[in-house]
Parts: sequence; C-alpha cells; structure tokens
Amino acid sequence: MITQDIRPILSALLRNRTGAVLVALQVAIALAVLVNAVYVVKQRVDKIGRPTGMDIENIFMVTSAGFAADYDHAATTAADLSWLRSQPGVRAATLTSGLPLSGGGSQNTLYPTPEVKGEGTSMNYFDVDESGIDTLGVRLVAGRNFRADEILPEDPTYRKPVPGFIVTRTLAKALFGTEDAVGKVTYDGLGRPMTVIGVIDHMQGSWVDWDKIGQVGLLPRRAFGPRALYLVRTAPGQRDALIKSAEEHLSVSEPRRVLQYVRSLDYYRDRSYQADRNMAIFLVTVTALLGCVTALGIFALATFNVNLRTRQIGTRRAIGARKADIVRYFMVENWLVTTAGVLLGAALALGVGYSLSRAYQLPRLDLYYLVGGVVALWATGQVAAWQPSRRAAKISPSVATRTV
Amino acid sequence: MMSYYLKLAVRSLRRSPGITSLMVLAIALGIAVCVITLTVHHGMSSNPIWWKNDRLYAVTLDSWDPERPADEDHPELPPSELTWRDAEAVTRSDIPLRSVRMHKAGGVLSSGDSRVPARPERVIARMTTAGFFDMFDVPFRYGGGWKATADAGPEPVVVLSSKVNEQFFGGADSVGKTIRWDDREYRVVGVLAPWHPAPTFYDLNNGAFDDPEDIYVPIGWTEKLELPSGGNTNCWNAEDIQSFADFLNSGCVWIQVWVELPDAASKARMQAFLDNYVAGERRGGRFKRPNNNRLTNVDQWLVDNEVVGNDNRMLVALAFAFLSVCLINTVGLLLAKFLGHAAITGVRRALGASRRQVFLQHLTEAGLLAAVGAALGVVLAGAGLWALRIMYATPRDGFTGLMHVSSWSLMITVALAVCATLAAGLYPAWRVGRIAPAVYLKSQ
Repeated sequence: MITQDIRPILSALLRNRTGAVLVALQVAIALAVLVNAVYVVKQRVDKIGRPTGMDIENIFMVTSAGFAADYDHAATTAADLSWLRSQPGVRAATLTSGLPLSGGGSQNTLYPTPEVKGEGTSMNYFDVDESGIDTLGVRLVAGRNFRADEILPEDPTYRKPVPGFIVTRTLAKALFGTEDAVGKVTYDGLGRPMTVIGVIDHMQGSWVDWDKIGQVGLLPRRAFGPRALYLVRTAPGQRDALIKSAEEHLSVSEPRRVLQYVRSLDYYRDRSYQADRNMAIFLVTVTALLGCVTALGIFALATFNVNLRTRQIGTRRAIGARKADIVRYFMVENWLVTTAGVLLGAALALGVGYSLSRAYQLPRLDLYYLVGGVVALWATGQVAAWQPSRRAAKISPSVATRTV
Repeated sequence: MMSYYLKLAVRSLRRSPGITSLMVLAIALGIAVCVITLTVHHGMSSNPIWWKNDRLYAVTLDSWDPERPADEDHPELPPSELTWRDAEAVTRSDIPLRSVRMHKAGGVLSSGDSRVPARPERVIARMTTAGFFDMFDVPFRYGGGWKATADAGPEPVVVLSSKVNEQFFGGADSVGKTIRWDDREYRVVGVLAPWHPAPTFYDLNNGAFDDPEDIYVPIGWTEKLELPSGGNTNCWNAEDIQSFADFLNSGCVWIQVWVELPDAASKARMQAFLDNYVAGERRGGRFKRPNNNRLTNVDQWLVDNEVVGNDNRMLVALAFAFLSVCLINTVGLLLAKFLGHAAITGVRRALGASRRQVFLQHLTEAGLLAAVGAALGVVLAGAGLWALRIMYATPRDGFTGLMHVSSWSLMITVALAVCATLAAGLYPAWRVGRIAPAVYLKSQ
C-alpha cells in the first residue's frame, strides 16, 4: 500500500524539486548541528556536575593581606583562626595555600625514585593544617590525618622537606597503581622522600580544565604570608550568615592587614565553570531556534504546496480519494523529503563530529546521538506537516468543478 | 520605477503577513546570532595595539627541560616567559629602540596621609622598566613615566592607574604626592588615563581579559624587596633554592620581555643578538633544547597564546550554520510565494513587462525583506549582547567590554544583509522571471 503510494509522490516531487531540496538541506544542517550540539552540551553538563569530593555548599574562604612593616603573620593567622573556630556554626577552619576550583594553585612533580628520572606524576598540592580534612569535608579512607605537631612552619622558598602527606585515591593510583598507598614513599623534585600517611576518597583541585584535576595532595604546612587564605566549613544553612559576621569582624580586628574577600567556595566553582555553562546555554538556545526555524519552514512550505494543489486535491477527492488518502499523501511526501535530508545530514553530522573531536580531543561522536537526532527530525517533520495535511483533506471535491 | 517596485513589494508582503513575518524573523535571527558571535570573536582576537604590530615583539627563548617542551600541546613554542637572568641580559642590548622586562606583583596600597579617607586596598602591581609607557602607547592623564635611571636605583616612584587615583586622590592631579605600597612610601610621577587594552597582550598569563594593573613600579624593587611573581612562575628543574638570589639565578621563568624594533634590519640584528646570547649560555651548560629564540609580533602572539578559544570558533561556525538554515528557509518561502502568484506575473509579462523588470521587481521584494530583517537583527543582537554581559557579569571588565554593538558589528550586519538578500532573493526572482506567460493566460 505504502510503496504504491510512494511512486506517484516521488515522481511529483522530482518534477517540482526545488522546494523539496531546500527543505531537505535545512533538515540536513539542522541534524548536523543538533546532534553535535547535544553531544557537546552533554559533555559540558557532565563536566560541571562532576563530584567535587568536598562539602562545597558549606565552605567559604577568607583572604587578607598584611602590609605594615610590623605585621606579624604568625600571630595574626593564629588569632584569626581561633576567632573563626570559636564562632557557633563553624565546624572547622584551616589556613591554606590555595583555593580548590578557583583556577589558581600550585603544582609539583613527584618521582618514583630519588634519582628524579623519567616521567614524574603531577600533584596539585594544598598546604593545610590538622583541620584541613575536616574543613574540606573530604573523607579519609585509609591511614590517618595530620597531627598538630606535624604541621611544618611557613617556608616561602620550600626548603624544608615534607616527610608525610595525604593523597587522593586518584593520586595514589597514579603514583602506586592499585597497591595500598599508605606507608609508600615517593620523591619530590630534589629527591627527598615523602611518605603517604593517609588517603582521602576524592577531592578536586584547582583547575577545572586540567585532565588530572583529581590528583591532589595535602601537605602539612603553614601557608606563608603576608597573604593569608582561610577555608571555613560551617554547619548547613549557616554559611551566608557567617560570611557576613566574619567580614565584619576581620576587617577591623587587625589594622596592619586588609581583608580582601570573604566569599563562598561555590562562587569560585561557578566562576570556573562560567565558560562551560554559557557555552551550553548558547548551544541549547541556538539549536532550539534552529529547530523552530526548520519546523516553521517545513510547515510553511507544506502549506504552500497544499494551496498550490487545491484543484488537484479536489479532483482526487472527486474521483474517489478518501480524506485519509490525502493526509497520507502529504505526510508521506514530507517523510520522503525529511528522509533525504536526514541521510545527507547524517553524513554531515559525522563530518562535523570528527572535526570537533579533533579540535577538542573528545571521544568520537556517539552514534546514539545520531539515531536520536534522526528520530527527532522525522518527528518534527511529521508534526510540522500534520496541520497542512489536515487542511488539504478538508478541501471539498466540488473545487474540482470550479475554475480557479 | 524603483518606488513602484517598492510599492508592489510592500503590497505583496502585506498580502501574506504570516509568511512575511516568518521570513523577516528568520533573517533577523540568523543575522543576530552571527553578529553576536562575530562581535565577541572579533573583540577577543583583535589586536589592541595594531598600529605597532610591525614594531613590537615578544621575546621568548627556549631555556626549558631538555626532556620535554614547555607546553606539550605546542612543542614548537618556547616558554612564554623568561628567567630573570635571561631577561636582564636580553634587555641590556641597545639594538631595540625600547625594551621592557616585567612581571606582576601583589601588595597593599594605603595612603601615607592620615587625612585621606581611602581604606587600604590590595592591588595588582606591574614591576616594569621605564620603556613600558612609551612602548605600549599608554595614555597619561597627569605626569608621565619614570626615567630609565629610576629602574636600577631603584627610585621610590610609582605610576597609578586612573582607578586607583580616583580611590586615593579623588581623581585629582596627584603627581608629586606620596602613597604607601606595603610598608614603603612611593612618589607618584604619573597617573594614567583610563586604559583597558583587551586582551592584555603584553601579559596573557592570568586572564587575557582581566583589567590591567593598578600601579606600575620600577622593576629594581623586585630584587630589593625580594618580591615573588604575582602572576605565573614555572620551573622545570627542581633546584635547591636557598635564597632570593638563588631564585633569580634559577631556571624558573616568570618575566615577560618585549622589544620595539622599528625596521627589518634591527629585527635581524636583534635575532642575531639573541642567538648569540643563547649560544654563549649553551657553552655554559644551559639551553640544552634545540635553538628556538623568537621575536613574535602582537598578532602572532595572540594566536600562539590561544586568546581565542576553540569554543569561540565553534560558536562562529554554529552561527553561520544557523544563518544558512535561515536563508535556505527564506529562499524556499520566497520561491513558493513568487510561484504562487505566477498567474499575476504571467499577466504582467503578457502586458509587456520584460523578464528583467519582473526579476528586478521580485529582487526588490527580497531586498526589502532582508533590510527589515537586518534592522530587526541588529536590535536582537543588541539584546543578545546585553544578555551575554549579564551572563558574564564578573570583575572581568575587559571581557564584558567586548560585548556591545560596535561600528564593526554594524558593518558586519550590513554586509550580512546584502549577502542575505542576494542569497535568498536571487534564485527565486530569476525563477519567476522565466515563467511563460501563455500557460497562465490559458487557464484564465
């Protein structure tokens, strides 16, 4: 039945093909864009949604800078920390050398032997004190936390070796494979041994675009001045109130330094992902508009075709075609045109996907996206052609007997 | 004749308002999306000191690890910064008209005068040499830069940005006044006019679209105050650094060096000087990588440092894909519409209108459509850029500054509109001109 239908429709299409070719071209471009845009958006959404490993909603940071000649960094940070820790609602606070997810931080290379040869392993490190793990809200899965007496004094030139440190599971795996990391030794760039004393489950480091973002190490060291950076973890729901009171207190508590920022940690996370988020928003917007324009184009062209063929439809009705036959004629015609476009579009989509995967070093376009895109465009075409087809079916057979 | 065609076009467009508005909207959206992405792309990739593109060169030397390049993704490039000792040696050459070596630093600015109410403020400083201001055509509001003798001394002099001068001196002429930076007093010798090069081509390391620095201080103070870099410091070789002097002598790169070379001859001489310097260091056991000393002009510097990201290029491609769909759509609709009125055209042809006249008449209609579409497109683009400014509302003024409808965007819009008319109108107008009048007269 359908195959019988297709032949006259096809020959009619081929006789008057410009409009059909234009619609097919639109469908092809729309498919290529849709499939790849959805794919890229999915990558970005996944990237933004990766677990941070930290209690990110309940952490805020404070940064200050000492500037007077008689500024005492050790005394000031001790006073600040004891004030912060004494506030009701504060769970833990630490001095730190860097801010996770902020785009700024320090990186070091670790080597398997003291000769410091061959490929090292990158470690994004944060100096913290014995409250570091508690403050970040990361989970210790093996070994132990730092003791207060292990925290090394501030050391701007990094001269003193760090005998023991804590690593994420990802870093442990990069360093030692699947073996239990606690007690294992690795070597810094000067060949000095560093022993793993604890392993935390997961923590994201400084740079969201870094492919080794999970290779984080915590070092037991007081971050050096005259800039001070504190991380503070609060009880759920108390963060914003504490940001306010911390700002009020710390901006006046010590005149030999200035308070720079008091901000939530998710402010920095959001800022780091801003480009990804906006890219996703832009892609979704343009792709949605593209879908609308394509659907409207199909709709408008179908409408015109129906108008143009009013007499022909009337004649067909007069010689016995049912309403359903008329509807089917236009739906099949639309389906043929969309299919031609989809075939061309599939090739185009794969080509675009290939060049994107090269530009971004992404995995090749997943074919499920292509199948989904094809189905979506078929459906769009049929929906867009439905109303004009219904209108065609309503044309009265008597039209055939009138002139114009 | 033209006004008659216009009248016909208006009448024809008003006859089917639904289709007309669809076509106008399609053209407008297509143009708007293109204008938005092109404006941002243009802003990001544009050279803020294009008039000196053939004179200013970033100096880079490959002093990196013999085992691996500084940037694995671009093994052909040397590190983008120099070591302190190399920067010092290179800028001692008298071949360039001017040369600068510099880095970022932190610090707190406070008023030396208790009567000034401004609160202490953490600022970003640029430690640089006297040539900086003339070399990069930095505009002054009051005073000027410091003398070259102030670099080595170093003299306690400072140039303030207009923002800082506003904060600490209420925007008044502060030349000769003093201001405290950390725990020392510095004499203001110059105040900049507002200056927002975007991107900050001279140092692209920490946010190419961040604002430039708040204060400028002679680089001699770096050594004297033992200031670390407030920007990037990259080291490839774990060295036993015991003191600041060790750090200055180390292989860590953290200094930007630029030279101004007025002609090809001086550029060739400078290149020879660099090669010669590196050859000498090589004999001393440094520079174990292949010889790769570069003088890079600003345009190429922006490309090498990937100021325009992949995302941006992808968006431009997407915008043009979108525009092409919009135009194909319009071609289809115009064609259907023109052919739908073939009977009228047939009568006009029979009454003596030439093919050329029919063609021009329909092209006028397409042109009118594109013009209205382009006008609406500019409005939409303005709205879109405004939305983008909100999406990117951060302290990065340099970036949001790119997002407004500029004369450049308007030029692009006009060009796109003309192309759109030609692309969308040409074929349908030609097609309808070829209608054989007899067919339509017969059915009447």
